[in-house]
Amino acid sequence: MDRFRQEKLQRYEEFVDKRLKPDLVHAIAERDKVFEQQKTFSDLRKNIENLEKNSVTSLRTLVNLGSEVYMQADVPDTQRIFVDIGLGFHVEFTWFEALNFISQREERLARQIEEYTRLIASIKAQIKLVCEGIRELLQLPAERSVQGPVF
Amino acid sequence: MEESAKKGTGTGTGTVSSLAEMFPAEDAQKAVKRVQEKLAEIQSELHRVRGFISDNSNLINLVQKLPEQLHHNIIVPFGKAAFFPGRLIHTNEIMVLLGEGYYAERTSKQTVEILKRRGKVLESQVESLKAIMRDLKAETSFFDSTASEAAEGLLEITEDYVEENSTERESESGPPKEDAPSFSEADKAKVSVEDEEYAHIMSRLDELEKEELEAECGNETVEENEQVAVDDEEYARLMSRLDELEKEELEAGDEKIKDDFNKLSDQKSLDTNLKHSEGYQSRELLEQTKDKKSATEEFLSKCDPQKDLTNQLNCMGLAVQSVPEDEKSHGKSLLHNVIKSSPPEKALMHPEVKENVQPAPLSRSEVPAQSSKPGFDAQKAFTGSIIERTHNTHINSSQESATSSQSPSSQPSKPVSRFKMQRR
Repeated sequence: MDRFRQEKLQRYEEFVDKRLKPDLVHAIAERDKVFEQQKTFSDLRKNIENLEKNSVTSLRTLVNLGSEVYMQADVPDTQRIFVDIGLGFHVEFTWFEALNFISQREERLARQIEEYTRLIASIKAQIKLVCEGIRELLQLPAERSVQGPVF
Repeated sequence: MEESAKKGTGTGTGTVSSLAEMFPAEDAQKAVKRVQEKLAEIQSELHRVRGFISDNSNLINLVQKLPEQLHHNIIVPFGKAAFFPGRLIHTNEIMVLLGEGYYAERTSKQTVEILKRRGKVLESQVESLKAIMRDLKAETSFFDSTASEAAEGLLEITEDYVEENSTERESESGPPKEDAPSFSEADKAKVSVEDEEYAHIMSRLDELEKEELEAECGNETVEENEQVAVDDEEYARLMSRLDELEKEELEAGDEKIKDDFNKLSDQKSLDTNLKHSEGYQSRELLEQTKDKKSATEEFLSKCDPQKDLTNQLNCMGLAVQSVPEDEKSHGKSLLHNVIKSSPPEKALMHPEVKENVQPAPLSRSEVPAQSSKPGFDAQKAFTGSIIERTHNTHINSSQESATSSQSPSSQPSKPVSRFKMQRR
């Protein structure tokens, strides 16, 4: 009985440490990536909107050659913009098309973030569940006092 | 292991313990793992820095190439997810980050210089990382060997080093352990080498001591002996010369001497030291006039050896130095008077003066003036071979008895007056 409980305890702990926690870390990292994408697209949207507002047709900017070495670059026509649509493909858009694409993309990214957040929450819940199981196995008193105020 | 431990303690000099006790194999393995982790970390860091270096060299090439054309068609990034088709312009104007958000506008050449300096820094970083890696590798190999040795059950023997006897004992008792023979042999060799070295050093020390002693003795005895011989010769010459001069002096007459010494007596304004020398000379003259031969002999015996005399001569030297300075005021110096008045005096005076007044340039200039006088060939004898200080000191020590016997006559407190009395 005792030995059986010991084995079970060990299995639960291993499950938490070797499965759930790495999953959680991975999910959080994925969500961060999506957050980053969201940010880049929101930046792009703002920039295009800016160009639209100022009706900029030609652009002079500094290009990073690497190692923070910059050289001046001239963009003769800003009407056409190539936007990354994923998997290494770039599509030539007009400003309007680009804004349209970006809004769709942002929507998708927001959905992805929501998914990941849900996933993270479920993983956290699983961890909590297993921890509770361990507590039961060890016949320790429930930590109600801690649980209450947190959520 | 027990047996070997007993053997080790049986000699009473060492202890035997298994290596596994001190460094358990598992601990050594853990250490190896830890160090290897660190090594991997450093390797990745090295890889990163290498990547920087290759980026840097690529950039240098690019920056060198860009100004070759007026513009290049590129895609201009617009954020991370978009770009425009465009072109590079002003290809010889480059903004370079200097650090802390400061940028400088440089030409392509200047940028290349900056990038090369950056490359050097990166190279030095690589070197330091390599050095750290070497250290860590040595550490891992050490831990590895320790772990394997501990696993094999190797024993460590700790034994105090005892002089010489230990070699015999070790050779007698034989190797108590597997790695003992090499140890004892090495020990023996060491001891023998040490003995040789010791003997060599001692012999060298003895040599040096001998040399030192010789040098000291040589300074004192050899020179003294030489000087004694030289002095004897000079005495003989001096005596013969004195005899000649005395004869001349007889002819020259006592009148001159008398006058001079009257002058001497009149000049009481001179300091006491000068008086001493005067007294000495006057006393000499007195003796010479009384009994030439005995006087000269006495003088010889007195003039060189005596301590008092040397003091007097020193004083005379001072007088000689000071007198020529006031030569104009006095007309003629006291010493000059004495010297010129009596040729025999001159002969006597000259070596004395020379001996004691070496540093005074004026007195020296006097000497050749005197030597140019006719009938003074014997001067060569004096100038050539007399050695100043040692000469006097030696004779002082050797003829102390003579000094004591003649001291009353050699130090007249009021020599001038006495001379006067005797003369008149």
